[in-house]
Amino acid sequence: MELAVQMTTTHERWLRIATALGEREGPEPTPAGMCLAAEDLLGAVGAGIVVMAEGVPGATFVSNPLAATLEELQFTLGSGPRVDAHTGGIPIRENDLGAVSAQRWVDFSGPAVEAGAGAVFSFPLRLGAARLGALTVYRAQPGPLASDVYADALVLAEVVTRALLAGQAGLGGASLAVGIGEERAFDARVHQASGMVSVQLEVGVGEALARLRARAFAEGIALAVIAAEVVALRLRFDDR
Amino acid sequence: MTVANREELLADTFVQLADTLVDDFDIIELLTMLSGRCVELLDASATGILLADVHRSLHVVAASSEAVNLLELFQIQNSEGPCLDAFRTGKAVVHGNLGDASPWPAFGRKAIEAGLPSVHAFPMRVRDTVLGTLNLFMAEAGPLADADVTVAQALAHAATIALLQDRAASDANRLSAQLQGALNSRVSIEQAKGAIAERAGVGMDEAFARLRSYARDHNAKLTDVAEAVVSRTLPAPQIAILLGDHDWEPDPAA
Repeated sequence: MELAVQMTTTHERWLRIATALGEREGPEPTPAGMCLAAEDLLGAVGAGIVVMAEGVPGATFVSNPLAATLEELQFTLGSGPRVDAHTGGIPIRENDLGAVSAQRWVDFSGPAVEAGAGAVFSFPLRLGAARLGALTVYRAQPGPLASDVYADALVLAEVVTRALLAGQAGLGGASLAVGIGEERAFDARVHQASGMVSVQLEVGVGEALARLRARAFAEGIALAVIAAEVVALRLRFDDR
Repeated sequence: MTVANREELLADTFVQLADTLVDDFDIIELLTMLSGRCVELLDASATGILLADVHRSLHVVAASSEAVNLLELFQIQNSEGPCLDAFRTGKAVVHGNLGDASPWPAFGRKAIEAGLPSVHAFPMRVRDTVLGTLNLFMAEAGPLADADVTVAQALAHAATIALLQDRAASDANRLSAQLQGALNSRVSIEQAKGAIAERAGVGMDEAFARLRSYARDHNAKLTDVAEAVVSRTLPAPQIAILLGDHDWEPDPAA
């Protein structure tokens, strides 16, 4: 079963990254801790996480002074890779901040090179329509990320997104691992249920997913089962 | 559908496919359009489209109904089914009657339960590489006419060309990012279906139909509308349209 073997690959990468993060930062990683982990895991000289609030940067977390400088600069300018990653909802890569292509951020790239960054990679922190912000890593040397490292970075951005959602919903890290399989296998019902619960509770769709996951964790039931109950109108999260 | 109507619709579908290639196009948008057209052109009850990521893991990227969403997921999770066979072999799997001894008994039972006793899967293939599959689910058992096989395979080829166009000059990193973006679009659409279903008190299929017709009527991208619904950035009159509330009037006090 060649396919079955290959199909585990993405999931294994998830487990590896989540485990590495857990070993470094404990079961409830702080945003600053996740920046340090990102710097380490992705061979960077700095990493930053920006969490948006109502369309503007709400909070910024960094691994070191270099990242602090460059995240602050993007805040001031209102432009830069993290802004493009968040607004576009897609990863942004600039393999060479000294190259002509980097001039798209005219006031950012020069100071970034002076600060010691040769390349920058920014990943949106999003789950469908729930857009939280961006994870940005700065590397000393120009050049692309190896495809294996890049795949790790995409997964790390997902892990960070879920950790932030759990944190925002005031839920412990223990519920973080619940339902990842169902989400990753794209069980549409999980996301449909999130949409329904977000209306029932008048909360964001990310928080709704966190609530579903917490319920599954508390009752020891698979997330997919809880989601299917919601979609089938047998379970509501409000008091109606 | 008459032959003339069908030819017109087919020609129009290819024109639309070609059009998408010049704009900044969204894969999910394109594949959702295509799955809808397959239903019309081929008398399919529903269609699904699977795409592989760089690790060759398959993902459901479009499904014209909830039942098909679940049937495609079932195949991926159980690693068996006609769509997976078409993906593995690169050859079309045309299966007129899942009630007969089928190579996929568990899948066959699920499909029949869902009222879809016949399934045909077409590879989206370029030379030796299969990018995914286009799958037709039929409400009645029976063979697929040769002409329909030709049309289905032609549509699968056209979709393949569109995907390749988007992947031209792409490296592995861009492909990973692209598929992840496509999956995020899908997540947004499912979240929006849930929100509309809850607010309007309708089922998921109806919620999807409203989302699609709203996007079509307003010439907007499906994923953009979905995101606006979920993040509640659509103005009230627009929300009212999506909820099917035709009596909606502006609140004089507002």
